[in-house]
Amino acid sequence: MNIPGNIAKSSLLATLIFWGIGLTEGAELFAIALMFISYIPIFLSCSLVILATICPFFWLAETEKFNNKQVFRMYFPYYAIICFAICMYGIFSNTREMFSIGFFVAVFITTMQSWIWFAKETSA
Amino acid sequence: MKIITTLIAAMLFSTLFYNQNIGLNLTLFSLLTIIVLGISNFEKLKLRNTMILMSLYVLTAAFVFINHSALSIIANCAVFFSLVGSFSESKSSMYVKWLNGIYSSIAGMFHRNFEADTETKKVAWHQNIDVLHTVKIIVIPLIVVIVFAVLYKNGNPIFESIIEAINFDFINVQWVLFCVLGYYLFSNIVIPVKVQPATDTDLAKGNELFSKEPLDIPTLKKEKQLGTILLGLLNALIVLYIISDIAFLMSNNNFAASVLSNQVHNGINALIASIIFAIIIILYFFRGNLNFFEGNKTLKNLSYIWIFLNAFLVVLIIIKNAQYIDSFGLTYKRIGVYIYLFMTMAGLITTFFKVFKIQNLWFLFRKNVSIAFFLLVTCGLVNWDYLITDYNITYADSIDINYLIDLSDNNAIILHEKKDRMALKPNQSERINVKYNNYLTDLRTANWQELSYDNLKITEENTDYEYTR
Repeated sequence: MNIPGNIAKSSLLATLIFWGIGLTEGAELFAIALMFISYIPIFLSCSLVILATICPFFWLAETEKFNNKQVFRMYFPYYAIICFAICMYGIFSNTREMFSIGFFVAVFITTMQSWIWFAKETSA
Repeated sequence: MKIITTLIAAMLFSTLFYNQNIGLNLTLFSLLTIIVLGISNFEKLKLRNTMILMSLYVLTAAFVFINHSALSIIANCAVFFSLVGSFSESKSSMYVKWLNGIYSSIAGMFHRNFEADTETKKVAWHQNIDVLHTVKIIVIPLIVVIVFAVLYKNGNPIFESIIEAINFDFINVQWVLFCVLGYYLFSNIVIPVKVQPATDTDLAKGNELFSKEPLDIPTLKKEKQLGTILLGLLNALIVLYIISDIAFLMSNNNFAASVLSNQVHNGINALIASIIFAIIIILYFFRGNLNFFEGNKTLKNLSYIWIFLNAFLVVLIIIKNAQYIDSFGLTYKRIGVYIYLFMTMAGLITTFFKVFKIQNLWFLFRKNVSIAFFLLVTCGLVNWDYLITDYNITYADSIDINYLIDLSDNNAIILHEKKDRMALKPNQSERINVKYNNYLTDLRTANWQELSYDNLKITEENTDYEYTR
């Protein structure tokens, strides 16, 4: 499993989505500077989420007879549904906050894409 | 074709929902969903299950417009997920349809992306275009140019004026983002996907129970003995309880509210315990070979009596609840008791059929989930706030007016129309007027996306209409 590569790609994706949605209400020069700096906390958050919630599925469930493709088919649907429910709860409990919407949308899309990167990587 | 359909649907989605409350838009969205699903999965439209769910979806969509209640919206969403699940796999059980429907709606695109790549299939429009390269040559230069333009803007007043002259205000970025959300949703459902392990397991499991040969006769005899004694005693006990309950009901007709309330709630608690035990005991004894043991007739008959007596207990609670409602009017909790009793009765009847026709646990689960689903849809077709208000004003011996005022706006018009029939305190009359006027303001200021049936009902004749906010 290429964990560092996955985390790096996921963090970049999360940064783009987060700021892409967050800046729809207007952008300042200060915000652009912040965008680059924000990659660090986003990278840390992504690492934590991926290592704590996605990797264990592959570490624990993968065997010689049960490859990553099967792990994906077995667990991804439930992960996606639970992750979606948590993100929707987060969005609805922070209405009107564009950055919180950006945050939760970034979490959802990034985790989904991260699963696919892991599953594809080993099934190739 | 699918991409064009999805793009049009996404733009319509944004037009319908961006910055709008729920109303006519959800009804139109439902029709749009049926069109999109129909175009992409034409052959599945002819399947009986799918046609039933489609009819229910249209029905609930119409009632979102007519009733405009939270329950009708929930029912509409439940049917939406069932319908999408039915397009995934029409033969699956209702709960697997929900699972497939929810999964398709929220992550269908990701799943298809994974499947397409693992099976080395590429979607047609991906075949001839290097998407990554296209994105690179558009996005990267664009971001870099914007960053540098913002940087240079502060260094030169003429350049700053040129940059500030560029005005993209005509583009509503949030509307575009809503379009992207719509595109994502419709891309997910356009080709519904399945939760493969759950769907396969569900399709492989039938409803019938089969015997495990050979039958262990001595053990079965012992089990039968235990079951007969247990169910015999429980039947005797429940008969005693029912007799005492009937005696109580016949002893006095004028109960105080607290007595009736206690009776209904205690009765419900007794019923919950009794029915859970009933079903567990029956499921335990009829879990396997005892179904095929020839000497099980007594035990089966005792089970039928036990189910019948529990059903009788349900009828007694219905009588108590009806008395309670007759005296103190309808409330959501009292309607909830009826719904619970209906589900209980359904549970008992399906348990009876489980034993009678020798079915397994999946049979019980499937039937009861389907019944719950149809009950939800049926409840979504009723305007409960209107019904509660109308019933209480017309029939109830005593009315909790504050409760009626605190219900949703769906009863604002009827409450205002019939306020003269109630003995109101001054502040209650004022609250009813404020609620009515606020509701009329909401109706008259609603956009076309937010329209509901009440918009058609209000006319210029509402003369006492005035803006209060």
